[in-house]
Amino acid sequence: MKTVNPLHIVTLLLVLFIFVTFELFKAKEELLIAKENFQETSVLTNKLKGLNKIYSDKEGVRRSIGIILKQHSLKSTNINQSIGKTSIIIRAESLDRVALNSLMSKILNGSYNIASLKIKKTSDTKASLDMEIKW
Amino acid sequence: MFSKFNQKIDTIFLDTNSKKFEIQGRVNIILSPSLYWVKKVTLPVKYIRDVKPLLASLFEDILPIGNYSYHAYKEDNDFFIFAYEDKVILDTLRDKGISSAELNNVYLSQSEFSNISDPIAIDETQSLYLKEDLVILLPSSFFDTQKSLDIKSISLSKQNIRLNQFGHIVNNKSLYTLVGIFSLLIVLLSVEFFIVYDKTLKIRDLKDNLFAKHSLKATMIQNRSMLKDYNSLHERQMKIRLYTGYILALHLKDTQKLSLVQLKGKLLIAEFTGVVSGAQVEIVQELNKNGIKYKARFKSGIWRVEMSI
Repeated sequence: MKTVNPLHIVTLLLVLFIFVTFELFKAKEELLIAKENFQETSVLTNKLKGLNKIYSDKEGVRRSIGIILKQHSLKSTNINQSIGKTSIIIRAESLDRVALNSLMSKILNGSYNIASLKIKKTSDTKASLDMEIKW
Repeated sequence: MFSKFNQKIDTIFLDTNSKKFEIQGRVNIILSPSLYWVKKVTLPVKYIRDVKPLLASLFEDILPIGNYSYHAYKEDNDFFIFAYEDKVILDTLRDKGISSAELNNVYLSQSEFSNISDPIAIDETQSLYLKEDLVILLPSSFFDTQKSLDIKSISLSKQNIRLNQFGHIVNNKSLYTLVGIFSLLIVLLSVEFFIVYDKTLKIRDLKDNLFAKHSLKATMIQNRSMLKDYNSLHERQMKIRLYTGYILALHLKDTQKLSLVQLKGKLLIAEFTGVVSGAQVEIVQELNKNGIKYKARFKSGIWRVEMSI
């Protein structure tokens, strides 16, 4: 009639209880870390996705610049645009105040990566423009 | 096979006055009436399971203080109920040279000698005697004739008891309660562990899916670095838009003209003509109002303002 000491059983259960508690504690910490990582990744993904769409969308930039330049107030102006692999260059030798204001308000209210900009007064009523927008 | 097994196990009659035994292998023990308390009772219940909760109270008037275990069995319409101290029996066994590991089954004299017709001498001084269906121990001198104990001829009943070796340390109820509570807690914690673990795996899967869906770089360091670059670019572009907007919207005097707006490296440069030194107060106020950090200087009649981006 071999019988296990009940104190040994209780001790074993106590050890098991402590072990399971410890493992649960570790698992909860891992869950917390995983949640934080996922949260960070979600936020980062959203930000990257948004910023990428604004500054690296070649077709989007080309299309919106095209729409701006086709607007009525700029039709009579002599604005040249040249599209490269990584940027679009907008040049105008002589722009009146209305056309310049119209163009710049559209550009500045949009979200473009303006790499270079030069607006130079050429006469009392005219100015030249040289601007590069990258993607 | 069962009979072969039985044949191998010797049976011993244990009394407090027994001599020391020399045994080989496991043994069955028949306890002398001196090692337990017995009562024959008639109760208005049908089953043993109904009697068991009542056992302690049925003995409480007669038992000396101690840690008792109880046993009962039914015979006809009566119940034979027993109380015994596990520790006393185990101590007696140890004194007689039998360890608990060598015990096979433990029986009570009441169940094994319930059919004796004559007194049975267990030693020189004591005999087992059946009185009113109870097996009791009486001095041998009370009887003129008596049989000697032939333990090998006894066919053991099914009424064996279980000795709690540690009953004196912790009673069964407390032990079961403690074990039950711990087991329940362990089960609950284990279930929670698996739920938490499963959640962690699912969240990791979601994160991996996010990486795949949005074609992120392989590591978070690369992605963080990319976001940092984008943020820096965004910040710069916001400043360019704001500052250029402020400059182009400045209210200048009739004599003052904006001759140049240029983005050069980390500087946004604006040049004004027709601005006399000391007369640029309104432009300065406007720049300060919008929190623009700048440097300004006059050169060849041109007021040049450099704003850092």
